[in-house]
Amino acid sequence: MASNHQPRKKRKGILGALALVAIAIGQYWNLAVVPPDAYQGEVQRIMYLHLPSILTAYLSYFLVFIGSGMYLWKREKRDDLLAHSAAELGVLFTALTIIEGSIWGKPTWGVWWTWDARLTLTAVLLLIYTGYLMLRSLIEDENRAASAAAVVGIIGFLDIPLIHMSVYWWRTLHQPPSILRPDKAPWENVHPAMLTALVISFVGFLLLYFYLLSLRYRVGEMREEIKQRRLERGR
Amino acid sequence: MTILRQTYLVLRKDLLLELRRRDSLLTMFFFGTLLLFVFNFSFDLAPDKVAAMAPALLWLAFLFTGTLGLAQLFQAERENHCLDALLLSPLDRGALFLAKTLFNFILMLLVEIVVIPLFWILFNLPSWNLLPQLFLVTLLGTVGFCVLGTILSAVTLRARARELLLPLVLFPLMIPVILATIRCMENVMRTGMIGDALPWLRLLLGFDVIFLTVGVLIFDRVVEA
Amino acid sequence: MGPWGFVGLAYGIVWGVILIYWYCLKRRYRAAAEELARLDAEETSRKHG
Repeated sequence: MASNHQPRKKRKGILGALALVAIAIGQYWNLAVVPPDAYQGEVQRIMYLHLPSILTAYLSYFLVFIGSGMYLWKREKRDDLLAHSAAELGVLFTALTIIEGSIWGKPTWGVWWTWDARLTLTAVLLLIYTGYLMLRSLIEDENRAASAAAVVGIIGFLDIPLIHMSVYWWRTLHQPPSILRPDKAPWENVHPAMLTALVISFVGFLLLYFYLLSLRYRVGEMREEIKQRRLERGR
Repeated sequence: MTILRQTYLVLRKDLLLELRRRDSLLTMFFFGTLLLFVFNFSFDLAPDKVAAMAPALLWLAFLFTGTLGLAQLFQAERENHCLDALLLSPLDRGALFLAKTLFNFILMLLVEIVVIPLFWILFNLPSWNLLPQLFLVTLLGTVGFCVLGTILSAVTLRARARELLLPLVLFPLMIPVILATIRCMENVMRTGMIGDALPWLRLLLGFDVIFLTVGVLIFDRVVEA
Repeated sequence: MGPWGFVGLAYGIVWGVILIYWYCLKRRYRAAAEELARLDAEETSRKHG
């Protein structure tokens, strides 16, 4: 029983180590190598955390969507596990995004919080997926909880573009744009050194994300197995 | 039996039940009106400000009133294992979804027909001629609310703290509807027509269509015995 | 607080939180693994016992 987990454990270990290295390089790059921004100064370095954080969160929510859809279709526990794990990580990275955005905002705009499109949108995401987690914890029956969560996981993700549009339009005074538009595409007028920093940072975050996801998923798997065994022994 | 016919039958049952006891309807009426009074005391609803705040206040009132209705939505089915009976029958789940959505929609509609003119009277608003258009916008928003609300009402049927959980999950998802409806209503009140707010109206319609479809397709995964 | 102060605050909080989360995850992992090993051991002892 333990033998088939050893290679997987080892792979996780390697992933974790890789993540650590990438992140270490990234932080050094963010803080020492990249020159400060012409307008925002040193504070701009926070962006090298902020953008990868929110992208990772979106990736997470996409995985929640996939896991939820697969679970409703095939009813396999592992899809539900994926959705749950991804939701947990999604909430983590969304919360971090908000904190980063807020800290960046204070020296830049003078306030810790403002209801601008980006921060508001991120806050709404946090609300939706925190709701997802609460829903799971408040439904007793495991299978019902999984189904319920899967429905919210699907609806939530489908709603994201709609929420995106409505919040951006709300925050743009006059003519609402007719297409979905991100706040700032990172590859437009960005100094190549900054672009490099963003890419390195993003790679680090991705590796870290998949490492944490694999850990969280395994914990869920083990718990499921423990439950199964306890049930069988009860017989 | 077609889905439409099935929908009609379930809807008719709920409407008849409601007609006889009028639990939900009366509570929703009363609550909606009560909120108007509470708003009057909470906000400085001076005559010059009321018109500007009217769409937002009305929608707040409808959101909370609608949530009341949602909590009651599957109440009849929870007693005596009626839900199990419904699910064992060859009833199409999509029909059940449509019926419940329509039922809540009708309840909210009835409340809105009363509360909106009441608001106009209580706060001496002019522009009575705009009411039909405002009503149309409200209708579209209400559809969005009922669609998502019904799905979530079914999903949280056996959750603990259900009365708290339902709004908690629903309201963030409703943000496009809230924003779109209020912006459209504001524009109508300002200019007499939808005009600039047309993109909002399209967003609202898109929302309704998307989640109505999702609801019909997904509902059999949502309700389980 | 100077600009580097804010940078430090942001970086500190982010990596602090991630570290804490990772640590908690590791703890859950260890607890589950131990429980599984315990159940494993009990099963083997029951089969041979």
